[in-house]
Amino acid sequence: MNRPMLKLASALAVMAVVAGCASRNNINEDEPSASPFGIARAALGQVVAQRQQAQAASAPARSPQDMAAAALAANPGPLIMVGLEQSGTTQVMAMTGQNGGMRTYMTPNEQAVIMRGFMLTGTRGLGHDLSVAEAAPSAALIQAGRSGTARRLMRYYSGDGLERPIDFTCRIGPGPNAGVMVEDCEGHGLSFQNSYLPSAGVSRQWIGPGLGYATIQVLRD
Amino acid sequence: MTKARLTPLTRRLLATALPTAVALVPAGAGLADPMIGTVTNRYGLPGAIDTPSAEMTPDATLGAVLGYSALGNTAGLSFQILPRVTGVLRYGKFDSTEEERGYVRDRSFDIRVSLLDESPDGWRPAVAVGLQDAIGTGFYASEYVVATKTLSPRLRVSAGLGWGRLASSGGIGSLIDDRGAPDDEEGGTLNTDQWFRGEAAPFLNIQWKATDKLTLLAEYSGDDYACETGDADSCPRDVWLSDEEPLSTNINVGLSYQAGQNYQIGAYVLGGKHFGIQASMTLNPRQAPFPSGLEKGPAPVRLRPAVAADPDGWSGAWAQDPTAQPAIQQALGDALRKEGQVLESMVLTANRAEVRIRNNRYVQQAEAVGRTARLMTRALPPSVETLVVTSVEGGMPVSSVTMRRSDVERLENTEVGQIASVAALTDADPRPAGLVRSPDVTPRFQWGLRPYLSTGLFDPDEPFRFEVGAAATASYELLPGLTLKGTVRQRLFGNAEQDAPGDFTVDEYLALTDEEIAAENNGVYRVRSDGRMYSGNDKPRVPELTLAWNAHPTSTVYTRVTVGLLENMYGGVSGEVLWKPVNSPLALGAEINRVRKRDYTDAFEFLDYEVTTGHVSAYYEFGGGFVGQLDVGRYLAGDDGATVTLTREFASGWSVGAYATKTNLSAEEYGEGSFDKGIEIKIPLAWATGMPSKRTVGGSLSSLNRDGGRRVRVDDRLYETVRDSHSTKMYEGWGKFWR
Repeated sequence: MNRPMLKLASALAVMAVVAGCASRNNINEDEPSASPFGIARAALGQVVAQRQQAQAASAPARSPQDMAAAALAANPGPLIMVGLEQSGTTQVMAMTGQNGGMRTYMTPNEQAVIMRGFMLTGTRGLGHDLSVAEAAPSAALIQAGRSGTARRLMRYYSGDGLERPIDFTCRIGPGPNAGVMVEDCEGHGLSFQNSYLPSAGVSRQWIGPGLGYATIQVLRD
Repeated sequence: MTKARLTPLTRRLLATALPTAVALVPAGAGLADPMIGTVTNRYGLPGAIDTPSAEMTPDATLGAVLGYSALGNTAGLSFQILPRVTGVLRYGKFDSTEEERGYVRDRSFDIRVSLLDESPDGWRPAVAVGLQDAIGTGFYASEYVVATKTLSPRLRVSAGLGWGRLASSGGIGSLIDDRGAPDDEEGGTLNTDQWFRGEAAPFLNIQWKATDKLTLLAEYSGDDYACETGDADSCPRDVWLSDEEPLSTNINVGLSYQAGQNYQIGAYVLGGKHFGIQASMTLNPRQAPFPSGLEKGPAPVRLRPAVAADPDGWSGAWAQDPTAQPAIQQALGDALRKEGQVLESMVLTANRAEVRIRNNRYVQQAEAVGRTARLMTRALPPSVETLVVTSVEGGMPVSSVTMRRSDVERLENTEVGQIASVAALTDADPRPAGLVRSPDVTPRFQWGLRPYLSTGLFDPDEPFRFEVGAAATASYELLPGLTLKGTVRQRLFGNAEQDAPGDFTVDEYLALTDEEIAAENNGVYRVRSDGRMYSGNDKPRVPELTLAWNAHPTSTVYTRVTVGLLENMYGGVSGEVLWKPVNSPLALGAEINRVRKRDYTDAFEFLDYEVTTGHVSAYYEFGGGFVGQLDVGRYLAGDDGATVTLTREFASGWSVGAYATKTNLSAEEYGEGSFDKGIEIKIPLAWATGMPSKRTVGGSLSSLNRDGGRRVRVDDRLYETVRDSHSTKMYEGWGKFWR
């Protein structure tokens, strides 16, 4: 890279952080940038976004017990506590919607998980969201405490704006501890193992390749 | 879903959803996929150093490469047009002792087609054929057939036959003897009289993955850099000769290091003599850092209470209350605003509600529609069963999605094909009865102040020109569809100075009459090629100031009239009409413009040149993300002709297109390049950052800034305005309905 190019790169870096001010409804929301170097800026934005995500993940948090106690005191409705193992974050989520057997829980900053009973069936606002998990046969076996094989279909939002399914074949059976049911799934070179203790409202469930496992605990049903 | 219920629509949604593993599963390579390369060669395509391989990049990959060596510098932009077809557009500079300024700048275009896939267990290698520098002057002109075989997970070997440059030494004979001479006239045309002709020479390369990140490269290449090293006998054109030291061998060695998922750096030694380095970058529209976006979760559906719990709501008696609609409209408008949408107007009866929304936030219109439908279940009394979400673009209602509320309740957060199969997408009614406009939607004033960077690239004398300054933008929407908007720019610094075309100074050029300008430019008035006369202006500049009126006279016809300073170089009046039924892949349009050329420095003054241009246009969506456009008409220099554009677009909002314009100007009148051609790229910011926004970055690269086949650039042309909410794009993004 010659010198003008290096200058350009640093100028772009400055531009990307200097946010222009604008009125409430930004009028440029759909205006293409005139510069072909906007492409480089897009790539830069990609890196910045990843960094921010990494920083957010490493921020220190209050202890889960404190969070649960505070939430239970402040909110009269159903609450769950969800931990994302990969990013090391734990959040209390409150129910914001109920549609038949399906419940939507949200964090205060409106990230959501969707549950059908004890089964996690979707996430919203986490960047690598699960659109919908079709896992009713697994849920029935787990609920009944029976062993068996079931098909599970996980649909994801892909980067190109589509919803893409991955299907898994799962073996369901009792786990090492009393009352725990284990669901062992494999498909398309991926595998995961979910475990459930429905009686205690506790489970560890795999969301997808981008988010990994979530631990879910019902605080108030 | 049963088989009998598979409508064409659900088949389409299913078809787009099938190749799951490709997007999500890390390494599950399907057998039918072309071989994917990891090393970018000096020409910007997969290969070793000088020599190519039969490899491709993953479908739709956009790549950029910058290279430096004593034998020539390059900047290239590559695109995997189809899974088996890849192309690269390069801009290079090489020294020449024959040119007064000591170098030649050159543009070139390569294409490679994958013919055969490697059999993973058998002996068959992947095979590809390629054309290098296939259009234009042909400094790098070469053709090749190449086979690549993976010998072990760490070792790949490619061997092939090359013609042209790749056979400048070590030739073994020829199929067809007479290779045509290089194009020494205007360039820009296909050099078919050279392809696969003349002497052919073998080449061989080895890629050895020493570690997961480091690949070592070695190759035998027939390219002995005859021109660069002053070998006048083997160099096709004298003006390309230079005096670098000759290579001592045909062996090149190098390495490539994967610096990150998307970045590579490389270094090599050519023929034991010349050292070179390069950096390359790839982006793929399918691999966003946050595939689902980071926008907040949507408000969930709220079920209706039992009839006994709300008898008035269920009976529809509330509709008689004149205060009901304003209160509902206010509440729904507030909720929509929080999700980045504007409720422009609403029709509400006891059992049907239509909301007209302007989506300012989500790239996929289906996401805006899905969120609106859910908010409607939260705001509307229970007797309302029919939900209509009408998308408004540019003040015009352009499509309506009609759903049963009970379907929205029943299908929330299920596979998206289900709601698609029960929702109807129709043309919007231009004037529905009972439409109530939301208060304070218009007049609406918006403004913005931001820094700007404008760049000029690919100028032979100064490859990179830029200007940095501040830009203030404001728009005032008087009525839906009637908008006054403008921009003022103040330059702060930059190296882009005012400059006259040809050998004139600025003052000399200003003194010329239009006839004199045309006379020294092959008889064609300089409609674009004096664009740099508009640069380097320290006064405030108004790139645009327009009053635009959009209308939707019938359900399938849209019109636009724009008056004012249309763009940096022209002002006047532009009128357009478009016919586009919502579910039709075909659209027809016409545009007519009466414009006058703007003064070089004074924002509100005009020059003498005045012209009427106009086109009739046909647009067609071929499916699979390909869109074609044909424009036939009169261009800025008064020349008549046609433009063909082919664009590949992705549901994520990416698009990559190429266009070519040929008019009745002869190649001589047109000048270097023979006809106008270029590429256009758009990348949504939301794809790169995960934050929801409809902003895109990108731009167009035209191969040369000439005067033939040029058009007025008018903002907000109708086809682009209405398409986001029409069937192809709406259903491409339908996967985000429940997002």
